[in-house]
Amino acid sequence: MSAAAPAAALATGRTRGREGSALARRVRRAVVSVVVFVLLWELGSRLKWPWVGDAPPPSAVLKVWLPLLTDPGYWYSWYQSSRRVLTGFLFAQLIGIPLGLAMATNRVFNDLTFPVFEVLRPIPPLAWVPAAIIFWPTQESSIAFVTFLGAFFVVVINVLGGAKSIDVRYFQSAYSMGATKWDVFRRIILPATLPSIFVGAAVGMGITWEVVVAAEMISGGGGAIQSSAGGGLGFFIWNSYIGFSYPQIVVGMISIGIAGYISSSIIRAVGVVCTPWLRTR
Amino acid sequence: MDLIVQSLAGESVREHVIALLRSTAPFAALSDKLLGRIAVIATLERVPRGEVIYQVGDPAKDLYVVASGQVRHALGPGAQATVLVKVVGRGDVIGWAALLKDRSRRLAKTTALEESELLKIRGDQLMEVLGDDPVAAQEVLERCAKMIIEDFTVPAWLAQVQVLPTGKAAAGTRAGGASNIRGLALFMHRISKWLQGPTPYLMVVGFALFFGAWYLLSEVFHLWRFASIPGPHQVLIEWLNPNPVYGLSVYSSEYYIHIWSSIRRILIGFTIATAVGVPVGLFLGWSRTFREYVFPVFETLRPIPVLAWVPLAIVMFKSGAETPVIFLATLASFYATALNTMLGVESIDEAYPRAAACLGASKWQIFRHVVIPGALPYIFTGLQISVGVAWFSLVAAEMVSGEYGLGYVINTSYVNVRYPTIVIGMITLGIVGYVTSALVRMAGDYMMQWRVRELALGGRE
Repeated sequence: MSAAAPAAALATGRTRGREGSALARRVRRAVVSVVVFVLLWELGSRLKWPWVGDAPPPSAVLKVWLPLLTDPGYWYSWYQSSRRVLTGFLFAQLIGIPLGLAMATNRVFNDLTFPVFEVLRPIPPLAWVPAAIIFWPTQESSIAFVTFLGAFFVVVINVLGGAKSIDVRYFQSAYSMGATKWDVFRRIILPATLPSIFVGAAVGMGITWEVVVAAEMISGGGGAIQSSAGGGLGFFIWNSYIGFSYPQIVVGMISIGIAGYISSSIIRAVGVVCTPWLRTR
Repeated sequence: MDLIVQSLAGESVREHVIALLRSTAPFAALSDKLLGRIAVIATLERVPRGEVIYQVGDPAKDLYVVASGQVRHALGPGAQATVLVKVVGRGDVIGWAALLKDRSRRLAKTTALEESELLKIRGDQLMEVLGDDPVAAQEVLERCAKMIIEDFTVPAWLAQVQVLPTGKAAAGTRAGGASNIRGLALFMHRISKWLQGPTPYLMVVGFALFFGAWYLLSEVFHLWRFASIPGPHQVLIEWLNPNPVYGLSVYSSEYYIHIWSSIRRILIGFTIATAVGVPVGLFLGWSRTFREYVFPVFETLRPIPVLAWVPLAIVMFKSGAETPVIFLATLASFYATALNTMLGVESIDEAYPRAAACLGASKWQIFRHVVIPGALPYIFTGLQISVGVAWFSLVAAEMVSGEYGLGYVINTSYVNVRYPTIVIGMITLGIVGYVTSALVRMAGDYMMQWRVRELALGGRE
């Protein structure tokens, strides 16, 4: 062994130590800030500060939450919402990714569909809720449709943008070396678009959670549809609001936050696995 | 050549030549004295019908001014001009190649179509005469250049402005012409180019397919579930109806009240979110301490969907339906703006603030002149997203709790079974939402013109 090896090991050890202390500092500060935030919230809620005074204090939230953890109804709401999110999300990917790729690769198809797409895109997904309820036979399918719409436009736009930003020289050199159209699609377009597909999926996942919550609240709280049709966390929140159990509203909000965070983490993890060439950067 | 040479000594002939020269474009502005000197070196020749005055490739020695008759001027092979063959008459100048240095050759063949009189001027002698009066010479050459350009450039409108850059006198008029071209003419040119491609026609076909399918499914065939959906024709009739069946059309004042209340909420929410979000984002990116203390709370709250806040917002802001709705729009915008601004600051190359600090910039100067402009592209991306999500949450908030606004229109129309009004509300939302985000994009392009130019040069499209 040469003398350079231990020196290098020492150096990396030292930088790792420095990084470690930076991480420790960050964790310490994060804990401090979240604790201070919760304390301020508790204090503000108890001392009736403006606005915060009307929100339930964290202690009351915790007191309501703990018994709920063993309540099967609460977990059924989790299941219901997750199922709806997943349905809408998967349909958005299944339809959106091929559509985006087709628009990016076929000029005629792009000219034909993109203007219509652009006209429909600015309409917020939730504005579709009543129309969806009228059109689809069951409440479940209309919620799924609105959830699908929420992710669909983001997915298509991201795939399209990713495919269009590919350098033309890649295509030119591939074709000049005898690549077929399929080769170009499989070896250039698909890998180049994959990162933006995952960006679109992550953003789309966030929007689907938003949409599901609102759709559940509107269809549950609108009064037109029978409320017994199916729980879900959005309906859980709305029901707590109707029943004046305000701490339970916050429980619902935090639960959705956790659920949303878990789902985007999963997508990020899958994205890292599927695009290994981006990891070195 | 069988040319009849005539002496120009006589005074009357001299006057005649000066008058002729004054009627031509290149010599029109010269003084009598100078024209007189040119008249001395000029000779008047008579050319019979069918006579070839010069051929393509002949050495160019003389400049000709047509005094009478008609001459056919045909450019030689390879000349890139729109008009290859033209007929010139009295007052036209041909053979300008004689004015070029280094013994140039003829580019065209000229033939007399009838018996013609030509004023023949030796090119080198003319240049000598003009050399004594540089201002006049410049004028003559400039006008010749303009003539040449008219011969050799493609569209006529371009020839009127693309004068060679000489002389100060004409600068003013020239600048005016050039700006004209850049504005309307260029726009029209682009429009005509666009119309020549298949894109606009495919677009029309696409819309026709979309609306046609909608119309046929809902109003003609009444297929399956489509029967319950209002068709495009029905919606249009209701939308443009002075006496709307369901109470809402472009003629009812209520329609504009709803639009205005939504826009007002967006405006308030967006303004607050920008005023708070941009500074917070800048500090999050700029100061590590601030980021490490504040960002965890930010990240804890952010996964909670804005729409899940609706009931809590109603509980917290009791003052009517207005404040909770604005709060939700603000919250949604705030996340987008603050996060993108932070990313923008982090995207700045570390070398820039260091270089500025090395050159003695204060912290404030770095912040003002490096950090803010560097983050601007991301800030505007954030603002565009922020307008979008503001509308997104506004609609949901209005649907759940609102007294006016487009989301409220959509929801109440559903509850009261006024189905065409739902679609009117949706379309209006789409239009208003599109306009607001276009405005933000335009403001961004205006404030970051350096970036627009960069993208235009580097981008593929």
